Amino acid sequence: METTQLDEPLVLETLRQVVDAEIDCNIVDLGLIYGIRIDGRKVTVQMTLTTQGCPMHESIAWGVKNALRNLEAVEDAEVEVVWDPPWSPAMMTDEGRARVGLRS
Amino acid sequence: MSAAVKSAPPRATSPRPAGFSPHAPSVTLPLRFMVTGLLALITGVGLLVLRPAMLATYHYNQYVIATTHLFVLGWICTIVMGAMYQLVPVALETKLYSEKLAAWQFAFHLVGFSGMVWMFWTWNMKQVGHFGSVLTVGVGLFVYNIARTLLRVPRWNVIATSVASALVWLTLAVCAGLTIAIGKCTYDTADALAPGTLFGAVLHGLKSVAKFTARFDQIGAMHAHAHLGAVGVFTMLIVGISYKLVPMFTLSDIQSRGRAAASVFLLNAGLLGSFVTILLRHPFKLAFALIVVAGLACYGFEIVAILRVRKRRSVDWGLKSFLTAITFLAPLSVLALVLSWPGLPLTTLTGRLENLYGFLGLAGVISFAIIGMFYKIIPFLVWYGSYSTHIGLRKVPSLADLYSPGLQAAGYWFYLAGLVATSTAILLGNAAGVALACALLALSLATLGLNVAKILSHLVRPRIDALNLRPASGGSL
Repeated sequence: METTQLDEPLVLETLRQVVDAEIDCNIVDLGLIYGIRIDGRKVTVQMTLTTQGCPMHESIAWGVKNALRNLEAVEDAEVEVVWDPPWSPAMMTDEGRARVGLRS
Repeated sequence: MSAAVKSAPPRATSPRPAGFSPHAPSVTLPLRFMVTGLLALITGVGLLVLRPAMLATYHYNQYVIATTHLFVLGWICTIVMGAMYQLVPVALETKLYSEKLAAWQFAFHLVGFSGMVWMFWTWNMKQVGHFGSVLTVGVGLFVYNIARTLLRVPRWNVIATSVASALVWLTLAVCAGLTIAIGKCTYDTADALAPGTLFGAVLHGLKSVAKFTARFDQIGAMHAHAHLGAVGVFTMLIVGISYKLVPMFTLSDIQSRGRAAASVFLLNAGLLGSFVTILLRHPFKLAFALIVVAGLACYGFEIVAILRVRKRRSVDWGLKSFLTAITFLAPLSVLALVLSWPGLPLTTLTGRLENLYGFLGLAGVISFAIIGMFYKIIPFLVWYGSYSTHIGLRKVPSLADLYSPGLQAAGYWFYLAGLVATSTAILLGNAAGVALACALLALSLATLGLNVAKILSHLVRPRIDALNLRPASGGSL
């Protein structure tokens, strides 16, 4: 097994495996991740959702925990869902925009 | 901060992490409503194909009334109730008050509406009243459950107002329906029973209600009752829920909260007046119909404004069905104004226009909108049941992967063609035309049935692949 550093790029890459099943785009390219904190073996992700009351709310937040806890070096993963600033499509990456078919 | 780590093969799915309290109830609760509703719809359209004369003759007869209740209670109401148990807690960020009450309500609803439809068909009004009472118990549980859920809503908004309004109208619609049924029964045994006994008191009470309802014109009462359900409950919910779902699915925002609130207010005010004036056949009916139409116009303008600034270019077939359905509110509003015209004579053409009005309202607006949302709700429920525990650990399908978009598109066009053809046949009073046109609707439902079977198959045999973990290539926030 390959050993890599638990850092922000790895966490982001791991979070790309969590997909919003309605929009069919991963949460990183959707621009939902606002911040990542790594304290030893604990990762805290601050994120938002495309809309308050999103039916995917629990699934996505749970998926983030699942994906991070799947990394051997991660002992604990926390998810903080925040609504400020509210998400807007401007936060999406170019890859995300292309996938969703977004207007510029 | 960083630490040395190894990427590991996916661990077994763990139980839900502590601290996650899902807003939505268990998947099986709304699913049982959805499947029952779909079966009722298929039965209803089958009846129309077999007895097309129902839509080509005047609508005040036992078969039309039975079939209408099959559509309204068995299809529309069942789906709406199941969807509300799922959507209201999620959309309003709260929890359903009681799943147990909802399960009981389903049993009362199933027995109530099935019995009512059967007894309307044989025109046994006493039994309609009995089964209607069973249904009413269920509606009472539903209203109580959703009302208690609304009391937990952290932020009251136009959606909560529309849901609360729909609950009030639903209660009134059911009470009005029961009152009409009571009015159509005879109470010969009442005189033999002393009013002091329990059974005697009930029978004397029912007799008094029947005497009271005899003052009203029966067709006017039926139309007033129908408007409470169609406009007060279903249209109100379509309007309210749109303000959540259309922005959510198109990546847009409400453009004017004032206009959205005005649409709900005008619908409520207009319907209150419409109910009274339709019941009394009062000439002011037109004025209140205009207020309802003004509310719908506000709604239409707001939806157009939301769509204009949407970020998601493509609109999927589910949303297309929903938007096409609400577009039918325009011709429906024109028909409503024509039929509300003071002193309109009851000619053959008027009768056909009334049939068209009812058909377009139930099949064109409400059913088409529900079918559109069906493609959002059923895949979500099944996806949630089969895949939500694997998200982040395994590669799971998206909602759109659960069904065939080709079948969905075919179903959309068959349904639209069926609506236009049936409307034309109704206007011409042509029974053979109604049968042929309803066959198109049946074809559309066959595509829906196939897709639903495809979706449900994921509950039995989930398609889960291993994640294709890419090497860490970096990235930035």
